[in-house]
Amino acid sequence: MSSIDNIPVKQGRTKVRQRKRTNPLAGVFDEFMDFCQARSLFMLHYCTGCGAIELPPAMTSRFDMERLGIQPMVTPRQADILLVTGYVAVKTLKRVILTYEQMPSPKYVIGICSCTVNGGMYWQSYATAKKLNDYLPVDMYIAGCMPRPEAVIAGLRDLRRNIERGEANSWEDYFRNYDYYLGHQQRLFGENWQTPTNIISEAEHYGLLGEGTRGEHTALLDKHQEPLEAQEMKLEIPELKRR
Amino acid sequence: MESQVNLVDLVLMPLIAFIVGMLMVLLMRKIAARLQRRIGPPFFQPLYDIVKLHGKQTQISHGLIHEIGIVMAIGGYVAAVTLLPVPGMNGIAEKGGLIALAYMLMIPSLGLALGVGQCANPNGSIGISRALTAMLAYDIPFIIVVFGVAFMFGSTNLVQIIAEQQAGGIATWGIVQSPLLAIAGLFGLQAMLGKQPFEIYIAPAEIATGPMVEMGGKFLGGLFVMQCFQLYAASVLYTSLFLGGGENWITFLLKTLFVVEIPMVIAFLFPRYRTEDVVRLVWKWPTLIALLGLAFLMH
Repeated sequence: MSSIDNIPVKQGRTKVRQRKRTNPLAGVFDEFMDFCQARSLFMLHYCTGCGAIELPPAMTSRFDMERLGIQPMVTPRQADILLVTGYVAVKTLKRVILTYEQMPSPKYVIGICSCTVNGGMYWQSYATAKKLNDYLPVDMYIAGCMPRPEAVIAGLRDLRRNIERGEANSWEDYFRNYDYYLGHQQRLFGENWQTPTNIISEAEHYGLLGEGTRGEHTALLDKHQEPLEAQEMKLEIPELKRR
Repeated sequence: MESQVNLVDLVLMPLIAFIVGMLMVLLMRKIAARLQRRIGPPFFQPLYDIVKLHGKQTQISHGLIHEIGIVMAIGGYVAAVTLLPVPGMNGIAEKGGLIALAYMLMIPSLGLALGVGQCANPNGSIGISRALTAMLAYDIPFIIVVFGVAFMFGSTNLVQIIAEQQAGGIATWGIVQSPLLAIAGLFGLQAMLGKQPFEIYIAPAEIATGPMVEMGGKFLGGLFVMQCFQLYAASVLYTSLFLGGGENWITFLLKTLFVVEIPMVIAFLFPRYRTEDVVRLVWKWPTLIALLGLAFLMH
């Protein structure tokens, strides 16, 4: 079984602001932005497992997340939080990664249930990804099998506190250390793995290039990557053709 | 001097509309929460949402028309609210009148259609085609109601309509003089705001919020701003036509908030109609009621 070292715990996150700011009021502005970001969180719940059952009570009248400014959204473009509840199979993980890469930053990932922490009861399964933070930068784990709504809300409050302090910036980690995450993804999905979102050019565009953005795994990606082209517009309705 | 006053009005009126609109969004979300026995969002929640959405650090744009579409959607309403008189400020209401206003209220949907069209998301296309069909549906009773009221007061000038209602007291209010038109107008308001029985073009569970499906960051923020203006414009128009406008700011706010609250309270009693049923329903009942009201007026 896993030793305590295998359980991913991130510690000592420090406040990193590496953007260049010239406005003297930029500090005030950033604080205000953090304040607002902490109080308005749109949540995309990717419910793969049993953890989804604890979310409706957290959202509805008993525990009411909306009083904390958290509300569910339905597409990744609109969301801030990606809530992964329960085990991620290799096949589902692909979809989770595609979803995550479509979200606009700052974005946060929360892993709910012990399955996302270390595989949980699927530890011996060949088809289940064990640690979510090998593949995505996870901001917060809410452990438990399954965590009660109180625990979910406590976790979300912790995330809110981190955002307000400006500490929840692990989304930058995905850009700065893309090679690390891509390596783990390639280990599971094979060398041909490619997502529609070009993370490296996005990192270049937003000035988020880090030491670990490029590496051996991204070199492999460059070799295999096919340029994305718009799909051909065609309408194939048999009834229409017959006429 | 005259033009200076107008300029100040033109800057102030959209600002006021935005602030009152955020208050209306808060009111709607609070009512929804209370009807579901929840506490609901805190007071500044609409502001937090808008600021947060505009503060996103990576934005996904689908091209120039995507951005212009959002600008058109907000701009149409900004132009519309300058045509809606509020206590103490008339803006360009006297020069515009009801016909210009009816045109302005159509621009946002068309802008949204342009913006969504470039996203090339099938859910968005389905959503916007449903939204435009719904607009086709509710515009018929809306136009009948607006011109019925204009006929009743013998003027398409909103300032004059309001002044006449305020001079004569409650007995001359549109809602007393022609209750049938007021009922049809309320029906149209429900469809115009896209509240529950007519909510098919948003349909979060089926087509992933329709027009908003590809909107993230500042685009969704723009749509949130647009929603504030939409609520304000619709309720102020209804108040001006039927409830005598606002004598002062207190009655103005009370009346407009009351008008916005009605669709929200009704909304949660209903599931949603399909698009063709929306068209059939709206072209039948509110149109009939409005025509009947018009017949009584012309009699």
